[in-house]
Amino acid sequence: MNGDEHNHDHDHDDHAPTREDDDLELTEGEARFLALKSLLIEQGVMTADEIRARMEFNERGSPHQAARMIARAWVDPAYKERMLSDTKAAAAELGIEATEAALVTIENTPKRHNMVVCTLCSCYPRSLLGEPPAFYVSKAYRSRAVREPRKVLREFGVDIPDAVDIAVHDSNADLRYVIMPMRPAGTEGLSEDDLAALITRDSVVGCALPVEPA
Amino acid sequence: MVDKLVTDIGGEPAGAVPQEDRDQLFWEKQMIAAFNLLQVKGVVVTDEFRRTVEEMPAEYYANSTFYGRRLDGMIRLLIEKGVLDADTFDKRAQEILAAGTRDHV
Amino acid sequence: MRILDIGKPGHVRTPTYVRHKTGTIERFCGLFENPEDKAYGRWGLPPIPLYRVQFRQDDIWPDYDGAPGDVLEIEIYDHWLAPAGEDS
Repeated sequence: MNGDEHNHDHDHDDHAPTREDDDLELTEGEARFLALKSLLIEQGVMTADEIRARMEFNERGSPHQAARMIARAWVDPAYKERMLSDTKAAAAELGIEATEAALVTIENTPKRHNMVVCTLCSCYPRSLLGEPPAFYVSKAYRSRAVREPRKVLREFGVDIPDAVDIAVHDSNADLRYVIMPMRPAGTEGLSEDDLAALITRDSVVGCALPVEPA
Repeated sequence: MVDKLVTDIGGEPAGAVPQEDRDQLFWEKQMIAAFNLLQVKGVVVTDEFRRTVEEMPAEYYANSTFYGRRLDGMIRLLIEKGVLDADTFDKRAQEILAAGTRDHV
Repeated sequence: MRILDIGKPGHVRTPTYVRHKTGTIERFCGLFENPEDKAYGRWGLPPIPLYRVQFRQDDIWPDYDGAPGDVLEIEIYDHWLAPAGEDS
């Protein structure tokens, strides 16, 4: 989707986001948003400072947050129990402010692989993973993940053997889901930070497995 | 039997899942932040917003992009609620598009 | 439990693919404001029970291609649920 917007280069300074798209031509979509924004500010509904502050807040939501939690759970069984029973409180323990009404962690096991989709829109645990990736919001994923999960996973290069059941979680209402992947073999000596680096965004929605250690 | 919502696509046949990532554009990040504020301030409710997306014509929805329909859904909702005046909004959007710059914001 | 098709027009969060299907309650999720009211400017109060319902994939899709133990879980509000065998 929006493939025509992929092509600008990204060797900009990530810390100066106000400049990052200035080399792109103004599209109708952006113009409509800018019109909306300017009217909301003029009418006193919100201020430009509030928008900036909220953008900074939203930037904290990134896959690194979920990875930190899962890595902690891999090394600390008591934390893992707390994360499975109350994911929001477990996030708060690591200083992560989760804005979702309710978060649930679901653990992959040798007998069951879990994956998440929101068929009706694109519900996603943004506080722990940031904005959803293009595949997750695509109509193809939303349509097919519930009906042919194994085929969809194979497109991601993930082949789940038939001896392992697949549970698809349609995130259709009030809960938001985090998948806790299994800790890869051969990671016994790794630090929590090194473990977190193995936990990719897609592994937390069940569309990938953690990276194997080098 | 009630007609299926345009958003109710779970289980329908579809092509390959796109594997290519796409970074959010700056204005899209601004848009998400502004929409978050509209919710936090109680101007709009998530389910109202979803409903406006569901009310889009099927053909429009089928051809819409994720950020495009979010923007259009919010504009529809704010007009419905009287927060936004449709004519004022259209005029402002046309001016900005004609100017082609981001300088005035 | 059986998922009803309550014939309600407008904003609902029960996708058609699970309607008339039979599954089991996996967990009670808590009480949540009713989205079917909130979508129209009402408060959605009092909050209503929400359940996580699990289905065998074979029970949803007659031509499902996967393992017999494959399941799907989805959140369903109380008024969409009836005892298995009942449907209206």
